[in-house]
Amino acid sequence: MNSNNLLSIFQFILLLFLQVFLLNNINLFGFINPNLYLLFFIVYRFNSNPTILIFLGFLMGLLLDLLTQGSGAHTIAALTIAFVRPIIIRATFGINYDIPMGMIEGTPQNQRFLYILMMIIIHHLLLYIIIYFSFESVLIILKNTLFTSFFTFIMVYMSLGLFKKGLND
Amino acid sequence: MQQLINALLKYKNSLFYLGLLLLSLIFLNQRSFYHQSFFSDISLSISSRINLFSQGIVNYFSLKKINEQLRLENEMLKVLELAYQNNKVDKTAVLESFGFKITGARIIKNSYDKARNYIIINKGEADGIKTDTGVISSDGIIGIINQTTKSFSSILSLLHRDLKVNVSFKKNGAYGSMSWRGDHPKKMKLDDISTLNPVSIGDTIVTGGMSDYFPYGIPLGTVSKIERPKFEGYYEIDIELFSNLTQKEFVYIIKNKNLDQIEKLNPDE
Repeated sequence: MNSNNLLSIFQFILLLFLQVFLLNNINLFGFINPNLYLLFFIVYRFNSNPTILIFLGFLMGLLLDLLTQGSGAHTIAALTIAFVRPIIIRATFGINYDIPMGMIEGTPQNQRFLYILMMIIIHHLLLYIIIYFSFESVLIILKNTLFTSFFTFIMVYMSLGLFKKGLND
Repeated sequence: MQQLINALLKYKNSLFYLGLLLLSLIFLNQRSFYHQSFFSDISLSISSRINLFSQGIVNYFSLKKINEQLRLENEMLKVLELAYQNNKVDKTAVLESFGFKITGARIIKNSYDKARNYIIINKGEADGIKTDTGVISSDGIIGIINQTTKSFSSILSLLHRDLKVNVSFKKNGAYGSMSWRGDHPKKMKLDDISTLNPVSIGDTIVTGGMSDYFPYGIPLGTVSKIERPKFEGYYEIDIELFSNLTQKEFVYIIKNKNLDQIEKLNPDE
């Protein structure tokens, strides 16, 4: 339990700094910055206290916004994704999901795929809706959501391979 | 009580989420100018709708008084019109050379009990109203428009402590800036009048031509109190306004047609 908490704290800090100092400066094709920090919410243990996760979501978004001079959109998006995560888990893995330690390994490939995709798309859609916040920008919102989600998904999927070792301890 | 606590515990995640969401919305509102103006736009349009409804009822009972005021104002205008015709001045030429365009509007919300007061009127962008436009009434100035929606606008009232208006003395043209003292709706203070200028109680104050918002020479009030500093410097002058901003119903929005030219010459603003 203790080592799991330590691991979570380490992941939190690592992903936050990676996002702020490296990934937010990529600007692929001028506008794509993959939001890898979502990985924290994806691999966070399934059976732990959801209240703490909501708080961590708020904290992650807030720190991200403060460090990147953001407007506050990351705060709301990260907070909300932390809040709706149990719903997404139930929707993708079924009501009786029995994955005590929350390792994504060992779950069916297509369910895992769907879970990650839903987390990413919901988060990005919300993020860009808040950033643009007007009906006239629907096309820009959808375009940004689509492309950024795609690249985030690729990065998350690749990074899961790296986290696999640490999580199996 | 036990049930209440149970219910709270049951929904504690949702409540916690809503609380944090509220915090982050405040955070968003603080940091982003776009979202701030979006939220204040919504609140302006809601509050103006409600006030339009209530003011509509109240106005019905004061129709007689308004009629009387309008009749008096019409009489005054008639006199001016006759004077023009006497002078055989082509009227359209006068109107075109006058640098301000005038639109009438009705006040639907007016406050005067706060330190920073705002007025809402029933004309908006659809009527060609823009922000940073002056607003006057039949006997003085009202304020400056600071925000507009499609069919309503909000005015920074003269009774707003941060609003300073360029004014001058009618008799010798000495100019200073007038602002509200914040205690009484007819009492204003006048700063930046140098002691080099002779000033006496009862002098008439008019709008100064240096403001982008108001034309020169609208009578505003009279000097009611003068405090001379011990050494040379600036007077502390109190002004009593002619107009009573607590019972205004109709206002005129005056738009400076040459504002873009003035701004071009004034690049630092």
